[in-house]
Amino acid sequence: MTDTSSTSLGEAVARAAPAPIASRIRGLSDRSMAWLFITPAIALLLAVNIFPLIWAIYLSFTNFRANRPNAALENVGLSNYSRVLNDPNTWQAMQTTAHFVFWTILLQTLIGFSLAYLIDRKFRGHAFWTTIILVPMMLSPAVVGNFWRFLYQPQIGLFNHIVSFLTGIPPSSFEMLGSVRLSPWAIIIVDTWMWTPYVMLICLAGLRSIPDYIYEAAEVDRASLWRQFWSITLPMALPFIMLAILFRGIENFKMFDMVTLLTGGGPGSTTEVASITLKREAFESWRTGRASAFAIILFVAVFGLANIYVKALNKVKQR
Amino acid sequence: MSSVSTAHSVVEPSRTSKRIAASIVIIYAVITMIPLLWIVLTSFKSPPDSISYPPKIVFQPTLEGYCNLFTTRTRQTPDYIASLGEPTSTCDEITRSRNMVIAGASNYWPRFQNSLVIAFGSTFLAVSLGTFAAYGFSRFKIPLAEDLLFFILSTRMMPPIAVAIPIYLMYRQLGLSDTALGMILLYTAVNVSLAVWLLKGFIDEIPREYEEAAMIDGYTRMQAFFKVVLPQATTGIAATAIFCLIFAWNEYAFAVLLTSGAAQTAPPFIPTIIGEGGQDWPAVAAGTTIFVVPILVFTILLRKQLLRGITFGAVRK
Amino acid sequence: MTVQRPAPAKPKRPFFIRRGPMENIATGLIGLGFLMLFQPFLLIFYTWSLVTLLAGTIMFIIVSKFPE
Repeated sequence: MTDTSSTSLGEAVARAAPAPIASRIRGLSDRSMAWLFITPAIALLLAVNIFPLIWAIYLSFTNFRANRPNAALENVGLSNYSRVLNDPNTWQAMQTTAHFVFWTILLQTLIGFSLAYLIDRKFRGHAFWTTIILVPMMLSPAVVGNFWRFLYQPQIGLFNHIVSFLTGIPPSSFEMLGSVRLSPWAIIIVDTWMWTPYVMLICLAGLRSIPDYIYEAAEVDRASLWRQFWSITLPMALPFIMLAILFRGIENFKMFDMVTLLTGGGPGSTTEVASITLKREAFESWRTGRASAFAIILFVAVFGLANIYVKALNKVKQR
Repeated sequence: MSSVSTAHSVVEPSRTSKRIAASIVIIYAVITMIPLLWIVLTSFKSPPDSISYPPKIVFQPTLEGYCNLFTTRTRQTPDYIASLGEPTSTCDEITRSRNMVIAGASNYWPRFQNSLVIAFGSTFLAVSLGTFAAYGFSRFKIPLAEDLLFFILSTRMMPPIAVAIPIYLMYRQLGLSDTALGMILLYTAVNVSLAVWLLKGFIDEIPREYEEAAMIDGYTRMQAFFKVVLPQATTGIAATAIFCLIFAWNEYAFAVLLTSGAAQTAPPFIPTIIGEGGQDWPAVAAGTTIFVVPILVFTILLRKQLLRGITFGAVRK
Repeated sequence: MTVQRPAPAKPKRPFFIRRGPMENIATGLIGLGFLMLFQPFLLIFYTWSLVTLLAGTIMFIIVSKFPE
């Protein structure tokens, strides 16, 4: 493809577009050409993302209810925000989210980095096994949540039977999804199963970005493997680890689909993460104004993290 | 570390450490595949086998799950079933053995088609818009380019439920709720950010000299873009398209909030498959298997580009 | 002790108009906002987390325009 397009250049020029159009397009300044290229994408984003966002900001200052669109719209100022930010239930949802985010990130980073470190030993067949390990992260979180609900069934589920096989606890004596104590962990396990490969892949890139000569120099200095790990491997892979942590943090902060299908926020509200509270507020209680305020709060939090994420991204890019 | 053991290249790990690493990684990979294999196995079980206690590993495979996935059935008396002629298909036979007859097609296939239409439609749009924008960002000096790129990326980071509230209202006004067009537009908007970032990385790697040479030879900028840059960027465009396709294929939050029937995709539908007396797990497993197989194929095709995809093109290995 | 040490190279600008340190402060503010949002101890911290997050984010956007 490449070769033909560059060798036949001369002939192609001869057959080039009719002169008037060509010169008209060539006549455009580079600046207007640039806008011609990027405007369609920006316009779409403005229409489908930014316009709704501004609408949501507007709604968050009103008492609008989507199930009563014709009711009189009243400006309520900041009271939606102050209600959400003083509501013990949403505060509780934030803590549930925090618990989920903290443990998933901790587990995924530990397991993911260890796996990457092992795969970086470049044993035979490592590429094949890496591909196998990567499969879960490509799946749909909703579909994953749904089939793990099957694996977690107390009588018939495979998970309970494997636990019982390993520990001797009878398989029907515990309910991963039905018990207040275990259900947060049920979600953490599924998320870790699904997203550890993500962290692993980025850590692996980090480990591979460390040039060999640094290790060779360390070897000349007779630095122990332990020293090498702490003073070369870890610090040099750290920007990559941070990148993975930030992205997982953002994603899990707004986690919705997997949790909805696993527990739906239950039992009670033990696994009700922020997105589920928001969904209930917006699409079940129909307090649209208040839900919008909550949505803006979540958005500000994610936007703040996204800033840091892009900074981390640029740091990694320079390597 | 004795000096003897460092006779080989220091960067090359020793044989024992390789062997240990290999065994741990392989054990992890096998464990990680168990849930998926279990779903595939379950899809070939009969409903009683799927809920047996303890779970059955050895069982008589049947296509009942797949039959139940694609059909709706009604219970009939044995006399009525005996009065029917020869069964016309395997599914017919299986259904009759359960004292039921096939009443019609289920909603799975229409939902699956919706998934296909919406995923391919939005991918095509997102990649087209994304290629143009990426080229613009890569080759021209655009004022505030950094900020625009960040703005584009940040739209992807928005919590879906937060965006869904105003989108729901907007679509209700425009008559786009529960339409394929509405979903295509929405997924295009979400995917275009990924497409711009990824493709910018790919286009940055194509030397400018190619187009400059073409333009000196008399090509216009547009001709140079279509005839020189696009053929060079084919791999990148294909990889980006697959990423967009996978996102649109897998998406659930928008789909469950904004569609209910006509334009519903497979992910919100699969969990609602219900049989007699509770969830029909073999049918759910069959639906999941069919839904997941394309992703497995794509993962294998994409394995070299995955890293780029998940870091928005920043890490290129 | 009386040995004259070479004066450390002075940064060209004071830190509050340089990008690096100010970005770190903004990052810290966003981090603090998250801690306030997530902590289970005092409702008042949760109440003010949004303001902290907003301040950190706006500051981040502004200082990222500063020269290095």
